[in-house]
Amino acid sequence: MERRLQQLFFVLSLVALALILAAAWQANSPSWKTYQKQFLQLEAQGEPNAVAKAAVLATPPQIHQTLLPGLQRVDRCTTCHLGADDPTMKDAPEPFRYHAGLGPHIASRFGCTICHGGQGLATDKEDAHGNVEFWQTPLLSKEYIRASCGRCHKEGDVPDVPELAEGRHLFETQGCRGCHKLNGVGGSIGPDLTEEGANHRSPDWLERHFLAPNAVSAGSAMPNFHFTREQARDLTYYMLSLTSEEMGTFFSSMRSIPGPAYGRQLFVEKNCVSCHAVGGVGAKTGPDLEGVTKRHSMEWLDEQLVNPELVYPGSAMPEYDLETNARKALVAFMAVATSDDLKSILSGKPRAQSPEEIAIEAGKQDFSRFGCVGCHGTELQGGVANPNAQGGEVPSLLHVSDDYTKDEVIAIIRNGRVPPIDNPAGPPPPLYMPSWKHLLSDEDINRIADYLWSKQQLKKDSW
Amino acid sequence: MNLIREIWQSIVRRDPLSTDKGKSELVFLNVWLHIHPAKVKKENLKFNHSFYLGFITFFLFLILLTTGIALMCYYRPYPPQAYQDMKDLQFVVFMGPFLRNMHRWAAHGMVVCVFLHMCRVFYTGSYKKPRQFNWVIGVVLLLLTLGLSFTGYLLPWDQLAYWAITVGTNIGSYAPFIGGQVREILLGGHTVGEAALLRFYVLHVAVLPAAIILFTIVHFWRVRKDGGLSRPVWKLKPEKTEALVTIGAPAETAPLNIAAASKDKTYGLMEVVTGKPIFETVTAEEEADTVFSYPYAFVREAVVLMATVTTIMTMSIFMNAPLEELANPAKTPNPAKAPWYFLGLQELVSHSALLGGVVAPTLMVLALIAIPYLDRNPSRRPADRKLILWLFTFFVVANLVLIVVGTFFRGPGWALVPPWVHVISGAE
Repeated sequence: MERRLQQLFFVLSLVALALILAAAWQANSPSWKTYQKQFLQLEAQGEPNAVAKAAVLATPPQIHQTLLPGLQRVDRCTTCHLGADDPTMKDAPEPFRYHAGLGPHIASRFGCTICHGGQGLATDKEDAHGNVEFWQTPLLSKEYIRASCGRCHKEGDVPDVPELAEGRHLFETQGCRGCHKLNGVGGSIGPDLTEEGANHRSPDWLERHFLAPNAVSAGSAMPNFHFTREQARDLTYYMLSLTSEEMGTFFSSMRSIPGPAYGRQLFVEKNCVSCHAVGGVGAKTGPDLEGVTKRHSMEWLDEQLVNPELVYPGSAMPEYDLETNARKALVAFMAVATSDDLKSILSGKPRAQSPEEIAIEAGKQDFSRFGCVGCHGTELQGGVANPNAQGGEVPSLLHVSDDYTKDEVIAIIRNGRVPPIDNPAGPPPPLYMPSWKHLLSDEDINRIADYLWSKQQLKKDSW
Repeated sequence: MNLIREIWQSIVRRDPLSTDKGKSELVFLNVWLHIHPAKVKKENLKFNHSFYLGFITFFLFLILLTTGIALMCYYRPYPPQAYQDMKDLQFVVFMGPFLRNMHRWAAHGMVVCVFLHMCRVFYTGSYKKPRQFNWVIGVVLLLLTLGLSFTGYLLPWDQLAYWAITVGTNIGSYAPFIGGQVREILLGGHTVGEAALLRFYVLHVAVLPAAIILFTIVHFWRVRKDGGLSRPVWKLKPEKTEALVTIGAPAETAPLNIAAASKDKTYGLMEVVTGKPIFETVTAEEEADTVFSYPYAFVREAVVLMATVTTIMTMSIFMNAPLEELANPAKTPNPAKAPWYFLGLQELVSHSALLGGVVAPTLMVLALIAIPYLDRNPSRRPADRKLILWLFTFFVVANLVLIVVGTFFRGPGWALVPPWVHVISGAE
């Protein structure tokens, strides 16, 4: 017995030793070493003599990584993709081929995964390419890779990627925010889209979803917007670019994108001219903007655009909810704007607006910006399918004054409403009017009501 | 040669192991080994008496200590670096996955073994006089083990960790009056976040290990002072049960029958503070039943140690510790589950928060602590303790059933879903 136990102890110790060696062997033979050997052989082929060949082949294997604190990532892709930054490797087989056409996006400053997706930390193919469980952003296919530009270029036009700007425009004009939150603003009927670009959804799924929501996601409350294939593609690009990741200042497009041209476009879009003049040309409600960039600091102007009341109590200027780049662009435009600019802008807008018209216009913008149009339509026509609600669809708002007073409508906007049910035994209708009182100020809601009333079609005389 | 022998002698300072004196000195001149007696009872070494579960638990703890210190070299306890460090362990640290796997599987193993050890002690009635308080210390060690496992669960900072701790601490917050505050102190806030990660880390690598080491020392010391392991049930002598006399704990009724039996040997422990020497009387029969700890006890312990180590290593080569995506407070998995050993409680909570979150855990802990004081039956024989054995078995089975149901039979929305049915969740 005692002897047996001693033998058993000896055997078990040997087993433990073998297991440690097995684990060490497992750790010591990762797949990236094989790739590095292949690459060295490829490199050695180009060497003129045996000594140089031997020197190349003797390079010890090591992990290559690009540390990108500004992008909060570490990319080890070049551990296998060894020729990515070596122009002589332009005809080499993958994974060693040279990556041409990076432009200003040099690999040592931008890494790989910010555009390509995948798991930069990983050092074996399957994990690195990210098509594994519990990794949210697998490698993007070639078709969709340009969508990644939108991760840093969050505003304005991105050169060579019209899809992004178009997708962004569709998102803001088709009322997507009515149901979907993006960066904290929007409804809660549909899922939050703030991190949709890191959601492990395939581009193909997204695209088919935009074409026919119910075909890929049965029972989805999302209406079919009858997008064209191009529009679906644009929106897919935009979705893939959405991320809440903080990009360091070096990587954000802020320095390069905002220019006076974009600022001028915003100046027109936001209707600044209805209150402001430049060099005496324009409306007189707000201050003349000539030389405003000399009178105030950049910070002051930026803050004024963020929160007019805070900088200048009692200011009648609305908050426009502009993003950083947009504000910078506007300031850039103000620095160069002349009365001639204003004349040309005004020539597209024949007359100054009255305060009522301004309020109605602001209401229309709110109606679009906060996503009301998603269900009620850009022309208030309604008509989006809502099974088991009375009438089976979202009602038109063109006759709302027939049934409600303005105050009642304001109350409905504030508190939300569940539509009357057609068949009590059936499932509740997927769409309902959310409560907006936490998202919209009373002023916003009043302006929206003003806008609705401005659009009411006249009652028939026979009433 | 003489110099070498002299150096060796200066280290070991004992007679050769071929002599009985040398075997004894090996034990009591060595600070690490002297927790053993020089001689142990042969029957107590039998595997099917203790299953060496206490030893296995201790050895697992040693594995955890060594792998844990190694892991600390690669870990930063703040999000999201904590998660990145897990990925680094997986992809770039030499033998990193092996290291983390060993720590993970040893941790689960320790929870299991500490529980099995408790069951063994209960079924053999070994918590009875004079070992009542050591049972209580054992319960404390069980709770500390759960605490260590629970705090370690959060450290990878992935979805699994984040939501298990969120659910786990929520269960705790159902306790009336103090539950909310305790949760807040533990988390350093109202939700699991940076502060919680740092606090769990401090608890995991400093506070709880220190506590468990201290209590383990007390536990071992008392095992020794209570006369080593309890006698196997099959060796119990009916008439002697009551009058077991033990070193360090003389019963008032124990007779100091020094000059009595002829063949019996009496061992004395002198220099006792009370001034009264304590004696243990050993019958000749018992004397014949003892063996030297070297090599009989040591070789068995060494075999158990190596068996434990090889088992954990084998598991670590073939099974990877789970790592899900980075913790995301905005994305609740459905269902969100506590660590498996708390799933019994979560199952109860799903029926009644008061029952599962407050009543059941409190009663369980109190009942466990009180067992040696409530069970006044002096007999350790299974035939004499049918009722309490059934009660304990019910407690064990109920716990296991609840854990199995919570682990394998609960799907999205905590609905009853058998494990062989695949539920697609996540898609809206």
